Amino acid sequence: MAGKGGATPSTYSPSPTTQKTKSLSFGNDDVLRPDDREWHQCRPAFFQIGVVAAAAGSAYADFGSTKVIVSVFGPRESKKAMMYSDIGRLNCNVSYTTFATPVRGQGSDHKEFSSMLHKALEGAIILETFPKTTVDVFALVLESGGSDLPVVISCASLALADAGIMMYDLVTSVSVSFLGKNLVLDPTLEEESYQDGSLILTWMPSRNKVTQLTITGEWSTPKINEGMKICMDACSKFSQIMKSCLKGLDSALEEEDSNVD
Amino acid sequence: MVGLSIGEKHFIQGGIAQDLRSDGRKRLTTRPIYVETGVISQANGSARVRMGATDVIASVKAELGRPNALQPDKGKVVVNVDCSPTAAPMFEGRGGEELSAELSVALQRCLLGGKSGSGAGIDLSSLVVVEGKICWDLYIDGLVVSSDGNLLDALGAAIKAALSNTGIPKVNVAAGASGDEQPEVDVSDEEFLQFDTSRVPVIVTLTKVGRHYIVDATSEEESQMCLAVSISINRQGHICGLAKRGGAGLDPSIILDMISVAKTVSEQLINTLDSHIAAAEAGEEES
Repeated sequence: MAGKGGATPSTYSPSPTTQKTKSLSFGNDDVLRPDDREWHQCRPAFFQIGVVAAAAGSAYADFGSTKVIVSVFGPRESKKAMMYSDIGRLNCNVSYTTFATPVRGQGSDHKEFSSMLHKALEGAIILETFPKTTVDVFALVLESGGSDLPVVISCASLALADAGIMMYDLVTSVSVSFLGKNLVLDPTLEEESYQDGSLILTWMPSRNKVTQLTITGEWSTPKINEGMKICMDACSKFSQIMKSCLKGLDSALEEEDSNVD
Repeated sequence: MVGLSIGEKHFIQGGIAQDLRSDGRKRLTTRPIYVETGVISQANGSARVRMGATDVIASVKAELGRPNALQPDKGKVVVNVDCSPTAAPMFEGRGGEELSAELSVALQRCLLGGKSGSGAGIDLSSLVVVEGKICWDLYIDGLVVSSDGNLLDALGAAIKAALSNTGIPKVNVAAGASGDEQPEVDVSDEEFLQFDTSRVPVIVTLTKVGRHYIVDATSEEESQMCLAVSISINRQGHICGLAKRGGAGLDPSIILDMISVAKTVSEQLINTLDSHIAAAEAGEEES
C-alpha cells in the first residue's frame, strides 16, 4: 500500500480541498464510481478463517481497502461479578488501529460500533447453548476503507462459526449510501463522506430475518424498499462466499459481481 | 429491571394481543403528553415533557466557537443524554452509561441526518456567524428525571420543544478584521433570533410484544418486548433515521409495514406536539 506513490517520496497529508473536486461527478448518472464500479456492484470480497492461532475462532475479511480481523474467544466462565444467567453472554468490542484512518487515531469516533455489532449478532447466536458463560468477539479494523461496520459484522459471524458457536444462520451485512439521486452499494470511505444518507442492513439469508437495520439521512419509503432489496441481494451473494470459505472449498480471491437490475 | 410475576406477564401479553392494554389504551394510542417550555432560565431554550410517568427535560445552550476546519461553513451540535440515578437505582454510577450513550447516538443521528447534512433537522449552516472563524456550538442536553418506558420518543419531543423555545442571541461582527485574525464580536443580550424547527423530526418507537406491535410502551410492556424499532419522521413524511433494538430477527416486509404505521402515528404526534408547544409558549409569555 505504502509504496504506491513510487517516484514521489514527498509526504502526503490528506486535505479536504483536494477531495472536494471529485464529488461533483456523483450527481451525474453516466459517470462511474471512482473505482470504476457500477452503482450496485460490490467491491471484490475476500474471506479467510483460522487466521489467529490463539483464538477459538477467527476470520479475516477484506473488501477493497477495508480490512478487518475478528477473533472469538470462549465460551469462558462469566466474571464473578456478573449475575447468574441461564443463557450465554456475548461481549463485543470493535477497535481501530491508529493507522486505519486517513488522519491518525480517528477511529475512536466510532464508539457505538461495539454495541451495534452486539445487536447485530445477538439475534443469530443460540445463547441457550452456553449458559453461565461468556463469548468474547474482538474486532480490529486494520484499514478503514468505507463500509467498516458491515464488513466487521459479516467477518464476526464467520469467526463465530469458525469457533463452533451455535448460530441459527450466518449473519451478513451490507450498506448502501444515498448520493444525489443514486443508491450506491458498498460505499468507499470517500463516497461515505459525501453521502446524503446511509442504510445498513444486517440479514440472515436462510431465515429471511433482519437482525439489525440502521438508517440515517432523509429517505422516502420507496427508496428504503429499494435499498433493502439491493442489500438483501448482495447479502445472499456474500453468504455463498462465506459458506464456501467455511467449507474450505476455495481460499483464493473471490470476485464478486452483484449487479442488480 | 421490572419484576413481574408470570401472571402479570401473561396479562400484559394477552391484553396486547386483544388490543386492550393494561392502562386501557389501544395498541396504537399514545399516552397524553404534557409540554412545558422555558423551565431552565440558564439555558437558551428548554422544555420538559411528560408522557405518563416518563418525565424528561431537554436544554439547549448556545456558545460561540470555531467551526471544524473540514467543514468551515457549518456550526456544531452536540447531543448528550444523562440518565439520573433519581429515575432508577440502576442508573447509579456507570449503570446508566450504556443507555445514555445509546440514546445520545440515536438522537444525534435523527437530528443531524446524513454526513453531507441533507435531511438534517437542524440546519448546521444557519449556525455560522463568520465562515471558517466563528460559529455557534449548540449543546443539547437531555435529562431523564423519571423513567417509565419510551424514553427516546419523549426525549425527541422534548428536544423539539426546547429548540422551538430557543433564542439565539444576535451577533454583530466588528468590521475591519482581515486575514487570519479572529474578528471581534458583540453578542446582543436583547435581540434574539428564533430557531427554525419545522424540519425537526419526531421519533416513534414501535415495540413488538408477541405478534403485535405497540406505540408508547410503558417500562412494564418494554420488559416483555422482543424487539423495538425507532423511526424518526419529519413533517413531510420522510424517514430521517431508523434504529432497531432487541435481538430477535424481523421479516423485511414487516419493517415496511411498521414504517407505514409509524408514519400515521407520527402525523398525529407532530400535530399534538405543535399545539402543545404553541400553548406552552403562550402560557410562558403570559406569566
